[in-house]
Amino acid sequence: MAFFLNLVVTGVVVGSVYALVAMGFVLIFKASRVVNFAQGEFLMVGAYVCLSFLVWLAFPYPAAVLGTLVFAVLLALLVERVILRPMIGEPILSVVMVTLGLASVLRAAVQSVYGTDIRAFPEFFTGEPFRLGGVAVTPAYAGSFVAVLVLMGLLSLFFKYSKAGVAMRATAFDQQVALSMGISVKRMFALAWAIAAMVSVVGGIFLGNMRGGVDGSLAFIGLKVIPVVILGGLDSLAGAFVGGLLVGVLENLAGGYLDPYVGGGAKEVAPFVLLILILMVRPYGLFGTEEIERV
Amino acid sequence: MTTARCGDFRVSYESDSRIFASPVGRVACALFLLLAALAPLAASSYQIDLMSRIGIAVIGAVGLNILTGFAGQISLGHAGFLAVGAYTGARLTALGLPVVVTIPGAGLAAAAVGMVFGIPSLRLKGLYLAMATLAAHFIIEFVVIRWRSVTGGTDGIVVDTATLFGFEFDSAAKVFYLILVIAVVAVLFARNLFRTRVGRAFVAIRDRDISAEVMGIPLFRYKLLAFGVSSFYAGVAGAHLAHQAGIITPENFPITVAIDYLAMIIIGGLGSVLGSVLGAAFMTLVPDLLRIVATALSGSFPALIGLIVSLREAVFGLLIIFFLVFEPDGMAARWRTIKAYWKLWPFSY
Amino acid sequence: MGLTRRRFVVVGGALVAASGLTPHRAHGQGKAPIKVGGLFDLTGVTSEVGKPFAQGVIDHVKIVNERGGVNGRRIDLTAVDYGYKIPQAVAAYKQFTGQDVVMINGWGTGDTEALVKSVNDDRIPYISASFSGHLTDPKKTPYNFFVGASYSDNLRIFMDYAKAHSPSGRKARIAFVYADNGYGRAPIEAGRRYAKEIGVDLVDEQVVPSSFQDSTSQLLNMKQKDPDWAYINTTTTWVAQILKDAQKLGLRTRFGSNPYGYSEKLPEVAKEASEGVVGMLPNVLYGADVPGMKEILAFHKANPPQLAPDALYVRGWAYVTVWAEALRRAGDDLNGPGVKKALETLRGFDTGGLTPPITYTAEDHRPTTRSFLYIVRNGKVVLEHEGEVPRKPEWLGL
Repeated sequence: MAFFLNLVVTGVVVGSVYALVAMGFVLIFKASRVVNFAQGEFLMVGAYVCLSFLVWLAFPYPAAVLGTLVFAVLLALLVERVILRPMIGEPILSVVMVTLGLASVLRAAVQSVYGTDIRAFPEFFTGEPFRLGGVAVTPAYAGSFVAVLVLMGLLSLFFKYSKAGVAMRATAFDQQVALSMGISVKRMFALAWAIAAMVSVVGGIFLGNMRGGVDGSLAFIGLKVIPVVILGGLDSLAGAFVGGLLVGVLENLAGGYLDPYVGGGAKEVAPFVLLILILMVRPYGLFGTEEIERV
Repeated sequence: MTTARCGDFRVSYESDSRIFASPVGRVACALFLLLAALAPLAASSYQIDLMSRIGIAVIGAVGLNILTGFAGQISLGHAGFLAVGAYTGARLTALGLPVVVTIPGAGLAAAAVGMVFGIPSLRLKGLYLAMATLAAHFIIEFVVIRWRSVTGGTDGIVVDTATLFGFEFDSAAKVFYLILVIAVVAVLFARNLFRTRVGRAFVAIRDRDISAEVMGIPLFRYKLLAFGVSSFYAGVAGAHLAHQAGIITPENFPITVAIDYLAMIIIGGLGSVLGSVLGAAFMTLVPDLLRIVATALSGSFPALIGLIVSLREAVFGLLIIFFLVFEPDGMAARWRTIKAYWKLWPFSY
Repeated sequence: MGLTRRRFVVVGGALVAASGLTPHRAHGQGKAPIKVGGLFDLTGVTSEVGKPFAQGVIDHVKIVNERGGVNGRRIDLTAVDYGYKIPQAVAAYKQFTGQDVVMINGWGTGDTEALVKSVNDDRIPYISASFSGHLTDPKKTPYNFFVGASYSDNLRIFMDYAKAHSPSGRKARIAFVYADNGYGRAPIEAGRRYAKEIGVDLVDEQVVPSSFQDSTSQLLNMKQKDPDWAYINTTTTWVAQILKDAQKLGLRTRFGSNPYGYSEKLPEVAKEASEGVVGMLPNVLYGADVPGMKEILAFHKANPPQLAPDALYVRGWAYVTVWAEALRRAGDDLNGPGVKKALETLRGFDTGGLTPPITYTAEDHRPTTRSFLYIVRNGKVVLEHEGEVPRKPEWLGL
């Protein structure tokens, strides 16, 4: 039983980071119908930028996180303006490819500055692991999980009550109507990218904390997020949250129970098997809107 | 002294669907092939290796272009289909079968797998299909790594020499000729495909699938066919890759290979056979060129080696972005523009 | 004889061809340099241990050349980074053979074993950094060599130690944790058989990917089997990760590691999780008190190192000590078979104490069956004991 609980707890914590990154993905998709395959790279860049603030510039932790957020916003605005704006109206393949190209550039930039070795990541949540119903939980896990929940709560308040949040929802619902109501759709696209980048880099910082080290493989989270958003529904923030937790738990259980039989790798492939199954049964996911097409 | 008319006049269906628009093109193609056939006599082993890799890329890229450029179905699973072909080809060769069996066999195996993963294409399109094929890639990769008795797992397998009725393709040059012949056949077949009913159905599906169905094109059959033909090409390319490399492992087929192939057809030109060829050559040459230049520049090994690796990736990414933003129709469009310019020169208006 | 266009092409082509055929002579020295290929991992999943090893090889070649080379010939080392990818290793191998190298200093197990057939066909001695026991039988792998005790012998020495340091009164419980690649699996079969021979219980085997983010699920599975000792067969980066995860989960199991999963740097990366962890190294640590170390320290006094040198650096250095001696003994017989024959004349060759004495014969490519077992005490790696297993004929090639 402790074995099962351990797997679930680890899965939930890692899943909460998936959920965070998936929310960034969904935000951009909702706002501008762009599928951002570079989401994982944003996360990786965030972790490394935070690391440089902490280690090279010796910033205290809150200042370093703030600096990383500012950096993320600037990077997202630049990317949106220079690369994604010209792609409006282009076929989906082109949009997918341009974000894949962007992913390549971001990876290369990080690698040329930091190299390929794993770098130790200073831990914010320190202290001994504590036990929770027979499961050892480290402060980094517990802290990250709580922080993700708080962040999600703040985001949903933002969308519900703030003016910009309401405007973003309106844009996602119908761009024509939003335009006629005096909402600057361009600015909403930029805002979506900025928020998406911010939640991704925060995810990167949490992952760095949980693992105690960062390397280029952080970017793979970007691919993990795809089953998450398909499960939850491409245009549903709540779906991203539920999907993230489910995928996190599922892959851990697959790893724990199937790996001994198949000889490893079940953890990595399980989310993609799930992805195929969902696409066959319910392509718009648990909470997504079904698209109806007319000629 | 040109006798070509100042424009592109086609007055019959026959002339519109010709493979070569003008005798000049036919002669140029023949000359190019002659040159390629003679090249191994003078080339170094590295150059033969490079030309072989271009040939393999051409086969794979033409295949992907049939699916993506002509039929409009996105696939991120091309590396997986390539792997299926490579392992099938290698295993069949190990049984002592000649290339006339192993290469079509590899193609058929890849086509079968491709069609299985193409089934979701009936319900899915665009984005969702991209994600389904991405999942296909990871599932194929998992099977390849885990099925150790057939694939050798992460250690890979050593590929036997290809044979044809007693003749052994036991040198790089001989393998190159094999690749060259198949690449020519592959290109001609693709070129011809779009003069047929099937090819036109593909284009109709790409342009508007629902309208195509209304016009009487069975969507499911043709979408699956597009997946099958495209994966067949990938399988054939994979089998050649196995013979060319001599050793294949799952590391030959990472997801980046699928992205590379997509980049080839985008940079070359979607829906253009010529574009696939240009894109394949370009995307194979650029990394090697970068490596040579960077190695020459970085005297102080190994401090700069990380930079070299990242430089390749950065240039790759920038090229994709650059082409998509500034030349979405690719090199083939650029080539047409240049041709049109010279056709009318100096009186372009 | 007018210069027609055709004649111009023919003559020009011939000139170009001829200029390409002229052998390039080394500057300053009369004799052509000795071409050697060097395959290293500087950017892949094993780069953390690959970089110091490569630096050791490159530095030692530089010293040899500064002292006038081998028999008056410079060593021309072509170093290639292959990122621990077998396809890139194959490409680099083609490049080396195109340059007519007389031998290759290789790296990983997967690529070395994949290239065995090509190396035999081309008859090029291939001295790998991989200590895979599969490379020791000259009947199957006549051109493969390495410098130190095989992975299998290292594992056997570890298992002897683990057996002696387990709770008494019952059979010792041992587990293997290994990477899902040729290197990870290399000694596992030998370990399974040895467990039966010496009477310890092999209670669990866990496979981890070549690179991974966490190993919790594997360790949780292992925890259920409750081993006394676990041998981790992957490189230091991932060993550190496993040790940290094990600490998090509160495992009581003690850990041992292999020649590429252990060095002076482990306590720096794994912090307190590395306390009490033992490791097998076929060579001494950097700065050890042996005669051969003086040369390395003197070199570093003159050329301050960029990366802090460690046991892996010493290993790279010792490799050149061995193969440069073979090149010297080969004399004018500088080709693949000649160098192979010269390597097989080494009998108890002393590397200045950097490794145990090295011996190759035409029937047995096990260089030695002795190795060093280190332990982390108070955050420092110290020598615990020097172990040896017998040179059993049935273990050849295993």
